[in-house]
Amino acid sequence: MYDTNRMENAVGQDDIKISARKVQVFYGDKHAIKDVDVDILDKTVTAFIGPSGCGKSTFLRCINRMNDTIPIARIQGEIRLDGEDIYDKRVDPVQLRARVGMVFQKPNPFPKSIYDNVAYGPRIHGLSRNRAELDEIVERSLRGAALWNEVKDRLQEPGTGLSGGQQQRLCIARAVATSPEVLLMDEPCSALDPIATGQVEELIEQLRQEFSVVIVTHSMQQAARVSQKTAFFHLGNLVEYGDTDDIFTKPQDSRTEAYISGRIG
Amino acid sequence: MTDLPMPADASRDATKSSLLVADARTRKRNAAEKRFRSYGAAAIGVALVALVVLLSSIIGGGAGAFRQTYLSIPVALDADVLDPKGNRDPAEMSKVLTLSYGRVLDAAVDTAVADGGIEIEGLSDKDIGGLISKEASAQLRDRVLADPELLGTTVETNVLVNGRVDGYFKGRVTMESAEADGNTSPQQLMLAEELKERGMLVTRFNWDFVTNPDASDQRPEAAGVGVAILGSLYMMLVVLFLAVPIGVAASIYLEEFAPKNRWTDVIEVNISNLAAVPSIVFGILGLAAFINFAGLPQSAPIVGGLVLTLMTLPTIIISTRAALKAVPPSIRDAALGVGASKMQSVFHHVLPLAMPGILTGTIIGLAQALGETAPLLLIGMVAFVREFPAAPPEGLFDPASALPVQVYNWTQRADPAFIERASGAIIVLLAFLLCMNVLAIVLRRRFERRW
Repeated sequence: MYDTNRMENAVGQDDIKISARKVQVFYGDKHAIKDVDVDILDKTVTAFIGPSGCGKSTFLRCINRMNDTIPIARIQGEIRLDGEDIYDKRVDPVQLRARVGMVFQKPNPFPKSIYDNVAYGPRIHGLSRNRAELDEIVERSLRGAALWNEVKDRLQEPGTGLSGGQQQRLCIARAVATSPEVLLMDEPCSALDPIATGQVEELIEQLRQEFSVVIVTHSMQQAARVSQKTAFFHLGNLVEYGDTDDIFTKPQDSRTEAYISGRIG
Repeated sequence: MTDLPMPADASRDATKSSLLVADARTRKRNAAEKRFRSYGAAAIGVALVALVVLLSSIIGGGAGAFRQTYLSIPVALDADVLDPKGNRDPAEMSKVLTLSYGRVLDAAVDTAVADGGIEIEGLSDKDIGGLISKEASAQLRDRVLADPELLGTTVETNVLVNGRVDGYFKGRVTMESAEADGNTSPQQLMLAEELKERGMLVTRFNWDFVTNPDASDQRPEAAGVGVAILGSLYMMLVVLFLAVPIGVAASIYLEEFAPKNRWTDVIEVNISNLAAVPSIVFGILGLAAFINFAGLPQSAPIVGGLVLTLMTLPTIIISTRAALKAVPPSIRDAALGVGASKMQSVFHHVLPLAMPGILTGTIIGLAQALGETAPLLLIGMVAFVREFPAAPPEGLFDPASALPVQVYNWTQRADPAFIERASGAIIVLLAFLLCMNVLAIVLRRRFERRW
């Protein structure tokens, strides 16, 4: 069923990959996300912007159910990935996370070799039948993360020995290795210097060819540079969602305008 | 933001102090820091002095246990006495009591003294016979029973000498104290002196202390920690095979999988409380549960091991949980983010990173259990055990002693020679603890990963 779905949807850029309806998130008594409706497109970079604590990261973590790991978090509403409700009782988050990869704010490679970092996902999901196939996945993923040329001679060295920017690209390679359909990035450049940031941004542009990329960022310039769609969150509400150009040039909502012009946030 | 440049007027210059002179506030702060440092150094000094005093008193008192005086004399094994039936049948020979071997030995010592031409005024037969340990005849008997061919021959034998004579060479017994002592006499000590000059009496390294079982009150010179070491070892095996898996599994469950609710809070508080429960309480629990209720034998390493397991579990659980907590959450997120299940993230990533902490905690828990005395007293490990327990697993049910209990036991004995033995046993115990701590450090270094 999933395969046919995918075939039908694999048409063009305007396909809806993820659709969220009336999503509410509570942390204990705190209502962190209120009534968020959003359609995220395939083969598109969607940026979530907004001031700190506005719920953009929280919403991002709803998409691959990482919020399940927080005991006090409760989620209502529905989020559909290719039309399937990911909060359905029958969905195992483990399978979901193989299809919706995630890159975190701080580079967090495993304290293992570069090779093992990338190979871990394919190994646990059984994506390769033998060593050669695994080697190929690792190479493809590292190439996909624009890291191959830098590390191809030292795949057995620890991933933690790389520079910050390389570590973050290693994490991207690790996320890409399980062949996800959606890649979630939670402020992937906030711990990086400008040069490494530039490399990752370039990479995001490439990743768009294959995946639907959702990126949370604090930097409006970054959102403007890398994304086609932008969603502005404020105090747990999705204030405005539209083409990035429109959001930055002619925002409809006064709060969006205030944030973009630097008056709030 | 920046202020306008201040005009360099005279009043300002007057209040401005030189950097070359420390002002009162700075001096006060520096003095406080200096004082604090000296308190710290003093504390370290006191601790070091205490450690040196402790170690020197133990080693000074216990080193003697590792040296023992032996008399090497030719012993004529008279077949008529030792095998009256003359058929060399071990069953018949085992009916010959230690007493007869004692007579053979007495004769041998008499001969040696006579042959050596030693003449000491007032030397009685009792003094000569009492020179050698009461244990010596038993040892000779064991030797002959093991090898009946020796009968009728004269064998060169190393015979344990009496504890008082041994003590004389270690400085514990003097001529003055021997005067008032019913178990020795100045003449006996003079005889020993003479024999030593002739090279027949030697003081040498005493492996028997480590391998021999305990001995009775009259024979401190034969007492050793062999059974106690074996008993302690068996108990550590039990603790290792029970406490480590249970403790580590419990902490993984509590830390990683258990829901955080009132019940887990109650469990957590209780585990912390258990860690603070006096060990003797565990002893009473073990007595009631394992011996009276479950009917396990007294003095058995299995019971000791079970009691020590109960006692060590909280330590292991607390340290393992601390080690698991110290693993950065970003690693868990990373594993879950690529679609690892909870269990995979724990076993593939969290556990290897927590391993050094878990191992350290476990070994410290084991070391603590190794030195524990009180609960073992209650379950009968204080009994006098001369038989070595069998090999595990059956041996776990045989009576045995334990190192710390052996120390306690020996300090209760009347003969001052046992004080030396007790200190010697403490040295053995400390050596084991030192080895375990070194192991903890080595394992920690080995498993530690940098990121």
